[in-house]
Amino acid sequence: MAEEEDDPGFDEELDDGGNGADSGQGKRKRLFSKELRCMMYGFGDDQNPYTESVDILEDLVIEFITEMTHKAMSIGRQGRVQVEDIVFLIRKDPRKFARVKDLLTMNEELKKARKAFDEANYGS
Amino acid sequence: MADPARVKPIAVVSEAPAERPKPGEGSRDAPGSSSKVSELTTVQTTAKEQGKVRSAEDDAAGEEEGSSSLHPPPAKKLKVEHDKKKEKRHKVDEDEIQKMQVLVSSFSEEQLNRYEMYRRAAFPKAAIKRLIQSITGSSVSQNVVIAMSGIAKVFAGEIVEEALDVCEKWGDTPPLQPKHMREAVRRLKSREQIPNTKHKKILFH
Repeated sequence: MAEEEDDPGFDEELDDGGNGADSGQGKRKRLFSKELRCMMYGFGDDQNPYTESVDILEDLVIEFITEMTHKAMSIGRQGRVQVEDIVFLIRKDPRKFARVKDLLTMNEELKKARKAFDEANYGS
Repeated sequence: MADPARVKPIAVVSEAPAERPKPGEGSRDAPGSSSKVSELTTVQTTAKEQGKVRSAEDDAAGEEEGSSSLHPPPAKKLKVEHDKKKEKRHKVDEDEIQKMQVLVSSFSEEQLNRYEMYRRAAFPKAAIKRLIQSITGSSVSQNVVIAMSGIAKVFAGEIVEEALDVCEKWGDTPPLQPKHMREAVRRLKSREQIPNTKHKKILFH
């Protein structure tokens, strides 16, 4: 079938039922199984997504993070990953760019709020 | 008064831990997902309100200086225009927040569950940090972990949405099957939304 020629790594993974001891990508333990299940439900899938689909998605996410990390290491300060590099890499994708900006802004606001709260608490 | 047990150092930002005293806090113990969802939207509101207060103070300072002369100099004009744009942006944010609240209040039970999962689900920061550090070999800052987990979640969402499109187009029903996921990946790859640095494109050969 055409879809199986897409990426041999996935298929070895599936044949082994996710326990792959001798397939390239299956060696790693499943890192995000629980969180990905909730995420898939949130994004529109069934309440109980198939384990194989969750595995495929986990491999894709790990590959995505790996690619982004490698790219970020090669631009800006070499060998280090910095936020500016990530923002630069994501600049063409409006959704991801907006999300990163929102997250970083929210983080700053929360930090300020916590600091103000702690100082108020310290006084009383 | 925030409950110290709920304060976590740089907690999952998408979960929006409640810091400021808010009306929903009293009903924290009440069962039902509506209180949890209102929590998520109220913290967003308080954060935006804080921003609005700050910009209102800036506006007041600008107006005071402008009223002293008949023709404000060009620099002053630009500043006033910029403040007006900030105000407009905050009004747009407020509208959007109100619309979201109206929408969420009209959700069914199942929709509320799904929306709650959508907002709450996130990748564990520790695992992402470990993954990135195993690739770089050096430590990374917390902001990097926050940015990367956020982008990874958007990425997962794009794949799931595309796979749901494929599933619907092929006349199947959820849950999604691996063939839908693979077709979704193939489509996204053709749109270059999936980064791939493994294949070197030779221009002339």
